[in-house]
Amino acid sequence: MTRFFVQRLGLALLVAVFVSLVSFLMLRAAGDPAIAIAGEGAAQADIENIRIQYGFDRPLVVQYADWLASALAGDLGRSTYFNATVAELLAERLPITLTLGLCALSFSIIVAVPLGVLAAVRPNSLLDRLALTIAVFGQALPNFWFALILIVLLSVQFPILPPSGNETWAHFVMPTIVLGYYSMPAIMRLTRTGMLQVLRADYIRTARAKGLDPLTVLFKHALRNAIIPVVSLSAVQFGYMLGGSVIIESIFALHGVGQLAWESISRADLPTVQAIVLVLAVLYVGLTLIGDLLNAWLDPRIRVA
Amino acid sequence: MIQHVIDEPIQMSPRRLLWRRVRGHAGLLIGSAILTVILAVAALAPFIAPHDPYHQDLLNRLAPPIWQTGGTWTHILGADQLGRDYLSRLIYGAQLSLFIGAAATLISGLIGTGLGVIAGYFGGRIDMVIMFLITARLSMPVVLVALAVAALLGSSLTIVILILGFLLWDRFAVVARSATMQLRSSDYVLAARCAGCPTWRLLVSEILPNIGDALIVVATLEMAHAILLEAALSFLGMGVQPPLPSWGLMISEGRDFLFFEPWLIMIPGAALFALVLGINLLGDGVRDVTAPDGGA
Amino acid sequence: MKTTALVTALLASAALAAPALAGKADDTLNIAWSGELPTLDRYYNTLREGIPVARLIWDSLLFKDPATREYKPLLAKSYTVVDALTVDFDLREGITFHNGEPFDADDVVYTFTYAADPDNGVLTQRNVNWIDRVEKLGPYSVRLILKAPTPAMLEYLSGPLVIYPNEYYAEVGPEGMGRAPVGTGPYRVTEVEPGRSITFVKNDGYFEGSPKGQPSIGTIVQRTIPDQNTQLAELMSGRLDWIWKVSADMAERLARVPAVTVANEETMRVGYLMFDASNRTGNASPVNDVRVRRAISHAIDRQTIVDTLVRGASQVVHSACHPEQFGCAQDVTRYAYDPDKARALLAEAGYPDGFAIDFHAYRNRPYAEAMMGYLNAVGIRPNLVYLKYATLRDQVYAGQIDFTFMTWGSYSLHDVSAITSHFFKATKDDYARDDDVIGWLETGDTSVDPAERRDAYAQALQRIADQAYWLPLFTYNVNYAFTNDLTFTPTADEIPRFYLASWK
Repeated sequence: MTRFFVQRLGLALLVAVFVSLVSFLMLRAAGDPAIAIAGEGAAQADIENIRIQYGFDRPLVVQYADWLASALAGDLGRSTYFNATVAELLAERLPITLTLGLCALSFSIIVAVPLGVLAAVRPNSLLDRLALTIAVFGQALPNFWFALILIVLLSVQFPILPPSGNETWAHFVMPTIVLGYYSMPAIMRLTRTGMLQVLRADYIRTARAKGLDPLTVLFKHALRNAIIPVVSLSAVQFGYMLGGSVIIESIFALHGVGQLAWESISRADLPTVQAIVLVLAVLYVGLTLIGDLLNAWLDPRIRVA
Repeated sequence: MIQHVIDEPIQMSPRRLLWRRVRGHAGLLIGSAILTVILAVAALAPFIAPHDPYHQDLLNRLAPPIWQTGGTWTHILGADQLGRDYLSRLIYGAQLSLFIGAAATLISGLIGTGLGVIAGYFGGRIDMVIMFLITARLSMPVVLVALAVAALLGSSLTIVILILGFLLWDRFAVVARSATMQLRSSDYVLAARCAGCPTWRLLVSEILPNIGDALIVVATLEMAHAILLEAALSFLGMGVQPPLPSWGLMISEGRDFLFFEPWLIMIPGAALFALVLGINLLGDGVRDVTAPDGGA
Repeated sequence: MKTTALVTALLASAALAAPALAGKADDTLNIAWSGELPTLDRYYNTLREGIPVARLIWDSLLFKDPATREYKPLLAKSYTVVDALTVDFDLREGITFHNGEPFDADDVVYTFTYAADPDNGVLTQRNVNWIDRVEKLGPYSVRLILKAPTPAMLEYLSGPLVIYPNEYYAEVGPEGMGRAPVGTGPYRVTEVEPGRSITFVKNDGYFEGSPKGQPSIGTIVQRTIPDQNTQLAELMSGRLDWIWKVSADMAERLARVPAVTVANEETMRVGYLMFDASNRTGNASPVNDVRVRRAISHAIDRQTIVDTLVRGASQVVHSACHPEQFGCAQDVTRYAYDPDKARALLAEAGYPDGFAIDFHAYRNRPYAEAMMGYLNAVGIRPNLVYLKYATLRDQVYAGQIDFTFMTWGSYSLHDVSAITSHFFKATKDDYARDDDVIGWLETGDTSVDPAERRDAYAQALQRIADQAYWLPLFTYNVNYAFTNDLTFTPTADEIPRFYLASWK
């Protein structure tokens, strides 16, 4: 277990460094942050000063090495726009994004897992087809459009929810639905497939033959095994949701990392964009790691293999 | 409602078997129908569009669609904020979405399949490196990276296609790799290898054709993915540029009128939804029909 | 949808969201805009909204009357121009900063010395790089020494150069000032949530006799709301009292809402199309040919764009400057909307079937699109390259742009030197590189005789118009929307003066 963990952790770190290098090169190749800092209508001399002051005039390799060394020491640099360190900005924004991600994931699991189980218990039933239809629709629904439609429906036509902001829980309802709905199909399908396979397995048939309570068989024996792949999928989905929050947060004006990312892109605030890419990548890698570990914990066979 | 599993027919020629499965698969049929309609609309755009999609008439801006008071048959779906005919833009938008989806999928398919086949065939160190690339790619937040690059490079049709092509190859690589691994030790590949067949020919003529089915399924999913992402990028102003009638861009331009003229976002959104739904249904259907036992 | 139904709906939706914060009832002015202030420190912020915020918190030595454009003493009691490089200031006595620190000559010397030091990296060096040094002549008297004669000196002294408390700033630095600003102004800041909200409370001890006037409203709360639809919903539900930069379409619909006042004010900003007339890019672009530039000028119906899209107080402009600016001659060559003439000119220039060209822009995408529609109609196929301002500006400086849609706000200065000379004097922005124009502008910029200046500028502007180096488009305007309870007067300099706002 320890070896497994250490290996995975090493890989995760390597991936994070690699991703940061790629994104660093891409971002720096594409734009000049000094002009963005100087602001609209700035004089050339101001821009030159800023370039030197922030060190943008040094070779890219040097800038990256410098950035990486600080990042590894926990210093993500200063925002070129805000008079604050990127770490401060993230500390302020990340909780909102994580809250949204967790809400969305919970919503998704709470709807998708029971649907998947029920669909598997009665394959080809009306319920199964309904679940499948929901899944297919969910995958095809553009989330930004879904968000706008919800606003028109629930804030304008039937005004029960606020259109945007993050002051109260009510502000999180629509973003949760939009973000959660997007990952429901995958979770539901996987639950259904897993349950179908497990229900066909010998030990379930034996358990049933022994006359155990069908519900106990379903939830205690079958679901526990069928859920294993769903766990790691959920971790991955959570990672996707954090990435997808860029669009959702900007529509619902949630002051999270996604909105910060979008605005930092607009302002060419590269240290902030860079740090957010890194943090999201690390989160994703970390979540996959957690998913793997949970899998190993739920299914001892993996540990051996 | 969409039907899930096909009843297993017994003892039939493979072609008839396949045909029977296709006919019995409601999702596949619906998906094909939707796609056929959209393809036809895209192909016949110059003949069926009532107006030039780029012709603006500022004095006629925001003309309402036919079902609202003030709507006229001249502009059945109304006009946008520059007075361009909404229906015509919608029709030409189908061309654009399909083109972007296909082009991006072609690029990502080439990259992903190439990497996947190489990794699966050679294994060992090469496989490790490619697996690392796949993991790294998966951990990059797609939307964020695409936005940042488009914002800094300046977005255009070509750049959007390239960004999507270079970001969405992961699933091709994963599928091609595992399929190739299975084939690598199969009899005919071993036989070809023994016969002194050069590696590249082996990959192209023996491996590729046999993983084609799996790749087609991935291709449909990725095409749908690419179309949605393009729309999202255009929605945020970082995708294709006006005056191109991208559906995502149309939704974005309609956003300013969300409270007052909601039809401006409803119409292109519904079209986008239908297209992606059609492609997904087709992909799911092809998978079910070609590999009925093949799970997930 | 009927506006009334919509209003009810929005009212209800916002009422559910949170308890309504009354505006007039609890003497709190709730304002919102979409930009996030990076810091409140005036010297390290370039966001437009930083200016009205700074005017609440701080005072500068001088004050520019928005109505008469006269410069009046503010923290200074009086000033004497000793010679072209020396100005003496007598300062007001008895003024204290919000933290109780008394205001005196040390604060002025400290602030100017700090800001003028390039090592401190004040973001807009143009505001301070003309200052050579400041000397203290007495406890309430300072001498300012300039590096070179600076025509815009009074503008800087009455605007961006706000006076900081020396002891406090030395202690907390830009970061502390950004989070807990201290000034002498009519409002003091009680709470800052960076990028999200700022709370201002009336400074009851604001000095008598300030030309700014006395503050009236007790509390001002600023919130950052990026999305215009949300701002609108919040305004109509009474959770906001004031918003600005409302789009023309929204403003038109808001004007029908009974509880809301919509005001519109023209600004100093001018939109223009810039052509690479001198082939600076080396691309041998069609716009190198004056006939093509004239064709484009005839092809675009600027009046209709103003009437249908820009609207408000905006007007079509013909000279490469704002009509309100000193020296902005109006009797220049004009290009009427005439697509046939445009086609003829294109054919004459050797492009009977038009041509394709990259068209750059960074804001007002619908305006850009409308212009592209007009160009399409005469056979020109523009390919829109929509960039972030920073990126486009970079490419303009690097000499890579053939054809672009830009805007310029002239720093709200009422003088042609702030726009025409900025762009046509062989600067990095100059794609015309016309020696005659450069000469005339030089005369205009250095002469002290108004008549001579006016004459020189008129010649330059006529050449620019005749050669169509630019196609000046229109002036910009700003829509303000606020509750009927509020008395608020917008000004043409795009600086909302909240300290003058009051309840009805």
